[in-house]
Amino acid sequence: MSVTHLPNTHYTSLLSAHENNLVGQDVSWLNSLRKKAIEAFSVTGFPTLREEEWRYTNISPIEKKQFAVAEKPGKLDAAFVKAVLLEGCYHLVFVDGFYQAEFSSMDGLSAGVTVSALSEGLSEHESLVKSLLDSTVETPALGFINFNTALFTDGAVISIEENTVLDKPIQLAFISSKEAALKLTNSRNLVLAKASSKASIIETFHSVEESCHHTNVITEVVVEPNANLSHNRLQAESLKAYHIGGVYSRLENNAIFNQSNYTFGANLSRCEIHGTLGEASDCTLNGLYVGQDKQHMDNHTRLNHAQPHAVSNEFYKGVLGDNSRGVFQGRIVVAQDAQKTDAKMNNRNLLLSDRAEVDAKPQLEIYADDVKCAHGVTVGQLDETAIFYLRSRGADKQTAKNMLTFAFANEMIERIDFEPLRMAVLEELLKRFPQAGMKKEWL
Amino acid sequence: MLKVENLHVSVEGKEILKGINLEIGAGEVHAIMGPNGSGKSTLSYVLSGREGYDITEGRVLFNGKDLFEMSVEERAWAGVFLAFQYPVEVPGVSNIYFLKAALNGIRKFQGLDELDAMDFISMVKNKMKDLDMDEKFLYRAVNEGFSGGEKKRNEILQMSVLEPTLCLLDETDSGLDIDALQIVAKGVNRLRDPKRSFVLVTHYQRLLDYIKPDYVHVLAHGKVVKSGGPELALELEEKGYAWVDEKIAS
Repeated sequence: MSVTHLPNTHYTSLLSAHENNLVGQDVSWLNSLRKKAIEAFSVTGFPTLREEEWRYTNISPIEKKQFAVAEKPGKLDAAFVKAVLLEGCYHLVFVDGFYQAEFSSMDGLSAGVTVSALSEGLSEHESLVKSLLDSTVETPALGFINFNTALFTDGAVISIEENTVLDKPIQLAFISSKEAALKLTNSRNLVLAKASSKASIIETFHSVEESCHHTNVITEVVVEPNANLSHNRLQAESLKAYHIGGVYSRLENNAIFNQSNYTFGANLSRCEIHGTLGEASDCTLNGLYVGQDKQHMDNHTRLNHAQPHAVSNEFYKGVLGDNSRGVFQGRIVVAQDAQKTDAKMNNRNLLLSDRAEVDAKPQLEIYADDVKCAHGVTVGQLDETAIFYLRSRGADKQTAKNMLTFAFANEMIERIDFEPLRMAVLEELLKRFPQAGMKKEWL
Repeated sequence: MLKVENLHVSVEGKEILKGINLEIGAGEVHAIMGPNGSGKSTLSYVLSGREGYDITEGRVLFNGKDLFEMSVEERAWAGVFLAFQYPVEVPGVSNIYFLKAALNGIRKFQGLDELDAMDFISMVKNKMKDLDMDEKFLYRAVNEGFSGGEKKRNEILQMSVLEPTLCLLDETDSGLDIDALQIVAKGVNRLRDPKRSFVLVTHYQRLLDYIKPDYVHVLAHGKVVKSGGPELALELEEKGYAWVDEKIAS
């Protein structure tokens, strides 16, 4: 018996209904790219559990919810925006998938750096956009990538010129307003770090209310030779949201790319972190996912060591409480030519309840014969002896558990150099595991 | 202060303590000596509230209150402190934060305000100096990567910061060289106070050379088989634990 997955008619009809209503609709190459994506999506639809890469994550709720496309930005309270913007950054704020100049600030941006919203700068930066769009995602593209390509309304385009060092990180804040309830947003970010440049980008995701909305955001990154790019992602959306994210990168020779991925929000989230590594490039992936209630968090990393002498270090930690479920799939592919590859992958999970679950699946595919590859996965619980020790010193049981949970997760947060981001991530963690008397100066 | 009455304790159906009676008054130092397997560590764990022990008979009163009605942390708040034989490593929790959280838990119970951060740090640093501990230990994870002697010193540091009224020291001398033993003993002696009592659980007499007990009890086969003054420890050292067994047999 063969079962054919029929693409969801609600979503295929959205694609054609909105094709004349998107950024760059008068740009012919972009139109044809979108048309191709629509055609591909009409055939494949969204992925299903039958696909190996999606066997642990059932996205059928997204199909059933029949989200409508957010067509304009909702109203926002300035105080909310202020609270999510990190100090010491340039800010680009997107509300319900639309750039909002009034909340954004690029004052003092140095020469040699291009930062623009697609909705404002597409014609000015058309060749840059054209060179980056769809250049790093895999082919044939997955359902969510095609869906995003067909429907993205906005996003950031960033280019750092050769030998330029960006003085402050750029924060891209994606906020879902009250009006985003039962709506979906598609955003696309494009980042080019030219040779020997250095920059840091922070994407953050927030919801104004605990509403059900769907975010689909893809970031494409190209790191040219000897450039050093740091990319961070903090997803703190509503616990009812559906979040599909992707960071697709290409590292050229001797490039350095540090990606950190912190997941706290959304009812269901899936994040793809993919990279193709050029010769002697250096890629670090850090991740932390903290799930409670019935949250489902799927992190899917894929590093393709295409050339020799590249180094990759991957470390993901998960904390799963209540009925939450975590998925970690880490795949490292070492091509035949990629001799002297040095790849490490580590995934550690802490289960806080006997109803929590994690599916961890490291995969190494090695076609070269002179490489160093290591991977490890652990799943464990809080150490009862340590809980007793802390209680015997006067910490109550819940505080003792929270302290140990906090300590487990903090190992990933300590790695954040940029203090405003570190504090923002810590705040998310402390919201979930409050500790009496915890003060910044103790951290 | 502490009254142990006919205490029977089993672990997984096996009786370890078979009717212990002890009475410890305020300001007294009691040493509990005994060979391996006599139930010494069980006694200190049961008093501190560790799970996995069945109390089948008897009771323990701490300042008139039933100790077994109190949770682990309630005992700590009420002033019970166990210095562990094997202090637990707690990766990711810094010593300073651990001490602060513990002290605030106890102060909250006592109805006191949190200590000001500056006052707290200078208080802790002074106590560290007394124990010849480097300040860098404050910012390291609790006991992680500490040597045996450093761990034991850290236990005494916690004790001196938390100022309990009943201090249980479980084999605190094990794994200490003579210098470290003297430092630890000095730290304990500094805490001696008419309102504070100590129970030193130890296999060997050497700790008692530096911390003079008022009473010595010999534990064997789950019972206190002999009690006496400090001279009993010397007698034991001289004649060995076999002597105790002979005495029981006769």
